[in-house]
Amino acid sequence: MARIELEAISKRYGDVHAVRDFSLVIEHGELVVLLGPSGCGKTTTLRMIAGFVPATSGRIRLGGRDVTNMPAHRRNTGLVFQGYALFPHLTAAENIAFGLQMRKLPEPVVREKVTRALRLVRLDDLGDRLPRQLSGGQQQRVALARALVIEPDALLLDEPLSNLDAKLREEVRVEIRQLQRALGLTTVMVTHDQDEALAMADRLVVMSAGAIQQIGTQRELYEHPRNRFVAGFVGRTNFLRGLLVEPGVFRSDGGLTLRYDGRSAPAGAVAPGASPSGARRALALRPERLAIGALADSARANRVAGTVEFASYLGAIIEYYVRLSSGEILRVHAPNTGAAGDRAWALGETVHVSWPVEVGLVLEDEHQPEEDHR
Amino acid sequence: MAPRRSVAGALVGPATLAVVLGLLVPLAILFRYSLNRFVPGRLMVEALTAENYVKFFTDPYYVAVLLRTLRVSGICMVLCLVLGFPLAYALARTGSRWKSVLVMLVVLPLFVGNAVRAAGWMVMFGSRGLLNTLLGVVGLIDRPLQLMYTEGAVIVGITAINLPFMVLTLESVIEGIDPAIEDAAASLGARPLQVFRRVILPLALPGVLAGTILVFILGMNAYATPILLGGPRFQMMGPLVYGQFAGLNNWPFGAALSFVLMTATLSLSAVSNLWIQRRYRR
Repeated sequence: MARIELEAISKRYGDVHAVRDFSLVIEHGELVVLLGPSGCGKTTTLRMIAGFVPATSGRIRLGGRDVTNMPAHRRNTGLVFQGYALFPHLTAAENIAFGLQMRKLPEPVVREKVTRALRLVRLDDLGDRLPRQLSGGQQQRVALARALVIEPDALLLDEPLSNLDAKLREEVRVEIRQLQRALGLTTVMVTHDQDEALAMADRLVVMSAGAIQQIGTQRELYEHPRNRFVAGFVGRTNFLRGLLVEPGVFRSDGGLTLRYDGRSAPAGAVAPGASPSGARRALALRPERLAIGALADSARANRVAGTVEFASYLGAIIEYYVRLSSGEILRVHAPNTGAAGDRAWALGETVHVSWPVEVGLVLEDEHQPEEDHR
Repeated sequence: MAPRRSVAGALVGPATLAVVLGLLVPLAILFRYSLNRFVPGRLMVEALTAENYVKFFTDPYYVAVLLRTLRVSGICMVLCLVLGFPLAYALARTGSRWKSVLVMLVVLPLFVGNAVRAAGWMVMFGSRGLLNTLLGVVGLIDRPLQLMYTEGAVIVGITAINLPFMVLTLESVIEGIDPAIEDAAASLGARPLQVFRRVILPLALPGVLAGTILVFILGMNAYATPILLGGPRFQMMGPLVYGQFAGLNNWPFGAALSFVLMTATLSLSAVSNLWIQRRYRR
């Protein structure tokens, strides 16, 4: 196992930048998730690490070895593919043995390692089955065992859970995470599923249009998104568009005057002291941090009246779409506490949405980054 | 269920009828003919004798023709496989938007009849043909080589004709192999040759079988190419059968030749099929 160093790697297809200037160091034993919509370059990045796609520029190091120009079969990476890519003509055990045979290990050693790998993924009795005789979850575990048994310098997971049904997916992601921790595997995982990414990662890299938007822990990305794209992609967010009128005061396009506290704003977010230059801004508000009530909550700095336009009962929360008096819409997540005083709001009912100053985060109202680079 | 099955039966009917009337009945009649006797002047005489078959297998000339046919078909089959596999693989894996054009280029030779193509090879191979002229101009030879009317010419001709069948058969099978499987093998440390031997070849085996058998059968039954490129003294089974029927009017012996050819082709195809499957079945 080893650290993975990516130094300004880029991939260009003609005029199209699939990946640009991607720099990242993944520490020994760390699990980093590349998260982004389809076409954001995350899979291309993974394939460059694996050696299937040559980088146009930049350097890749695996455990200190420069592998930039090394063919895939010499890199010693363990890959789990989206569709598992098991060898359909080989049994589960033979699939797992493949990489060991390529390393010319003696047959008894291969057999012993295969047995141990099958036990590791709890498939002891199914070694003789062909892939088509295994369920999706079992195939997934064979693919994982096959990648792990060669003791790779890096474990690369390409949407490893996307072919499993929802319930199994949650189980398997815990399993993979525990295995990865126990074995201390340096791991890069690619996914477009933010729940999966948040559940599994040590750190996340949010990508869009071939470029890194932000690198950070779950908390850093959620609490301090650097731009609109990250705020919108990680978790749910309301955006109100408008202008800063003075430090700490935001005027939405609908005419609402809203207060926010930007003391904790990271680089990229707009500090409250910034000059009201007239530049377009967006006020980001997480729906679960907004309160909904019959009366305006005077303890909170921001209070806006509106009517319930749409409601979804989602179990743990109830989601309301509230049309504000200004015409703008806010999504509000009300916890479903089951307490006696709680009540559900009917469509058309007049409500007040309120939130304290620290909830609002002002971001540049840039175009979405995708639009920028197209 | 019942009505649907009867509809399906009705749809299969015409093809079944065509096979029975167009193939099985004539074959049965032909087999019966092969047991008849040929009497010069009276042509075919009703009989029940194996003498036509005995004649074939006891005359070294005919046995030599059969062996030559087998050898030429076998060589052509191997050449088609060796030449066709890389081409089929490249076609199956190309991401080019010209792919359909490339496939069309492979198919294009089939638009030209065998005889016409053989005539083209004659222009190439003749003693004053393109090849000899070129070699002479370059100074590699001072006398024209005998290229026409050789087994080599026939092999080149048949291989060229049969190659598209092999390529198309292999291409469709290779296309069904997930490219991610090749990536997986590479990531596990397999060099390109090992990826081919351990993964692609076993998975493409159904295509290899179908392609080789198809090409072998076409080679065994080649007619125009051996005549035009092999000349009058180069005999293969196809022209021999035709000669007995049309030239000598010896229908019983022609029928016997047909059955020898057919049996040899079918049994060899079946045996090789079994052998390859046993050898490569995991």
